[in-house]
Amino acid sequence: MEYVLQTKNLTKRFGRENAVVGLDMKIPRGEVYGFLGPNGAGKTTTIRMLLGLMKPTYGTIHIFNKDLKKEKIDILRKVGSLVENPSYYPHLTAYENLEALRKILGVPKARIHDVLEIVRLTDVANKKVKGFSLGMKQRLGIAAALLHHPDLLILDEPTNGLDPSGIIEIRNLIKRLPSEFGMTVLISSHLLSEIDQIATTVGILSKGKMIFQDSIEAMRRQAQQRIIFKVSDSDHAWRALLSKGIKAEYKDGVIYLSERSNEKVAHAVSTLVHEGFSIYRVEEEKRSLEDVFLQMTMEEKIE
Amino acid sequence: MIGKILGADFLKIKRKGFWLLTFLGPFGVVALQMVNYGIRKDYLLKQSNDDWGYYLVNVSAFTPLALVLGIAILTSFISSVENETNAWKQLLALPVSKMSVYLSKFTVLAILLLISSVLLMVLTLVYGIFLDLGEEIPFIDLLKYSFYPYFAALPILALQLWLATVSQNQGIPITAGILGTIFTYSAHYLPDWMIWKWPTLRNEWNEPFFNVLLGIGVGILLYIAGMIDFTRRDVK
Ligand SMILES: Nc1ncnc2c1ncn2[C@@H]1O[C@H](COP(=O)(O)OP(=O)(O)O)[C@@H](O)[C@H]1O
Ligand SMILES: [Mg+2]
Repeated sequence: MEYVLQTKNLTKRFGRENAVVGLDMKIPRGEVYGFLGPNGAGKTTTIRMLLGLMKPTYGTIHIFNKDLKKEKIDILRKVGSLVENPSYYPHLTAYENLEALRKILGVPKARIHDVLEIVRLTDVANKKVKGFSLGMKQRLGIAAALLHHPDLLILDEPTNGLDPSGIIEIRNLIKRLPSEFGMTVLISSHLLSEIDQIATTVGILSKGKMIFQDSIEAMRRQAQQRIIFKVSDSDHAWRALLSKGIKAEYKDGVIYLSERSNEKVAHAVSTLVHEGFSIYRVEEEKRSLEDVFLQMTMEEKIE
Repeated sequence: MIGKILGADFLKIKRKGFWLLTFLGPFGVVALQMVNYGIRKDYLLKQSNDDWGYYLVNVSAFTPLALVLGIAILTSFISSVENETNAWKQLLALPVSKMSVYLSKFTVLAILLLISSVLLMVLTLVYGIFLDLGEEIPFIDLLKYSFYPYFAALPILALQLWLATVSQNQGIPITAGILGTIFTYSAHYLPDWMIWKWPTLRNEWNEPFFNVLLGIGVGILLYIAGMIDFTRRDVK
């Protein structure tokens, strides 16, 4: 697989605190990579390192197969970003804000109108940003990130602090980017619901460590509902199922059946009855992606 | 690259009072003499046979103060442009080197202060002619009194810019600016090695040009030290 971005053992320490530990991040081309983690997990710190704003304590970063340490400026020519709260110059208009960046990026002036159009700020182009709502500032930040046709767009919690309609608007905008503009997107969030709706690949960060990194489908598979059996003498019951070739897991006195088809469940029930176990309950486990996410991050905390 | 960043920086200082301050500094210095000569011109003209020379000394009494205070305010303004919404992270995630970003900030202020010095010269000349101080205008001295303090103050510019850009707490550069202004005000009592004395062009050899050479030399050193420190730090 071709990776637009790859880190190896990326680590950042602040004094004695480990903010990011041994991160091996891999972002395939054309994906929307959802970078998930609770507040304080180290998402912003990671993103700052990816943009060369912070030096890693150790580890390497390769973007477009170039070493960030050696070819930072070359890499950044093709990276757009929005880090944490939007940055802007309040005394300048939206247009002037973009013009200040455009002068440095050296793209044609017409591009300013294009990106304002994309984020729907054309009407307020000549208003000072001071008076903008948070959502508008956030959109201006995205416009700024899009200015130079980046191949990789890095957005750090772009919907933080927005109201629901603002969130939907930004989400729809981000969804369009890979297909319409051929971009790879890295978007961080502490809310699974957010990532769930736009990401194609997910990386979950907890206390500075990557605890899951795979496609969103793989994550959904983890979230799949299982069938729960509560039976007498459950340990032996579980072994009985296994000996009959029925796939099951056992944990804390409960048997989990991952195959959920009617036949498989019926087969498991009849096997247990046949072997003389009493079946107290057969129920479907309700596990949302949210639960999976919480469980993953919880498990980290308990360790 | 530096040209592009400069262009952006000059756009960013719009409507922030930079240009007003650039004009206000030299205007204030000359305006003090307008008041002085307006009230007691006859008395002042009697003090010396060299009316132009005496007038230039009077004007230049306030130039160092205005310059040191102006540097403190301008450096604080220019860092506040990026600090206000923490735009450093946006600026430095662009394909630019940190060195050129720092150089551009320094250059903007060096240009504004140079413009101030030119204005100071023009205003001094115009009011001097208005006062009718004599046919022989001492242009060389006029140039010296207008531009020597500028070069002699470059180390203060380098120091204040560094403090303003790297301090998390803006109280630090502001305190340094106030202290510096007080130092310059009491330059008479300061040893020659203190950079805040240099813009007054005074030294024990009575050779103002030393201060220019020192200003440029030490200014460059302090600038480089500040820039290296800025590039080494993680972005705010
Ligand atoms: N500049 C800094 N100095 C010291 N500690 C920091 C700094 N930036 C972040 N941290 C710490 O690193 C950890 C991760 O923070 P951050 O990357 O902002 O998390 P997230 O973006 O996932 O909420 C936190 O414990 C935070 O306190
Ligand atoms: Mg964060």
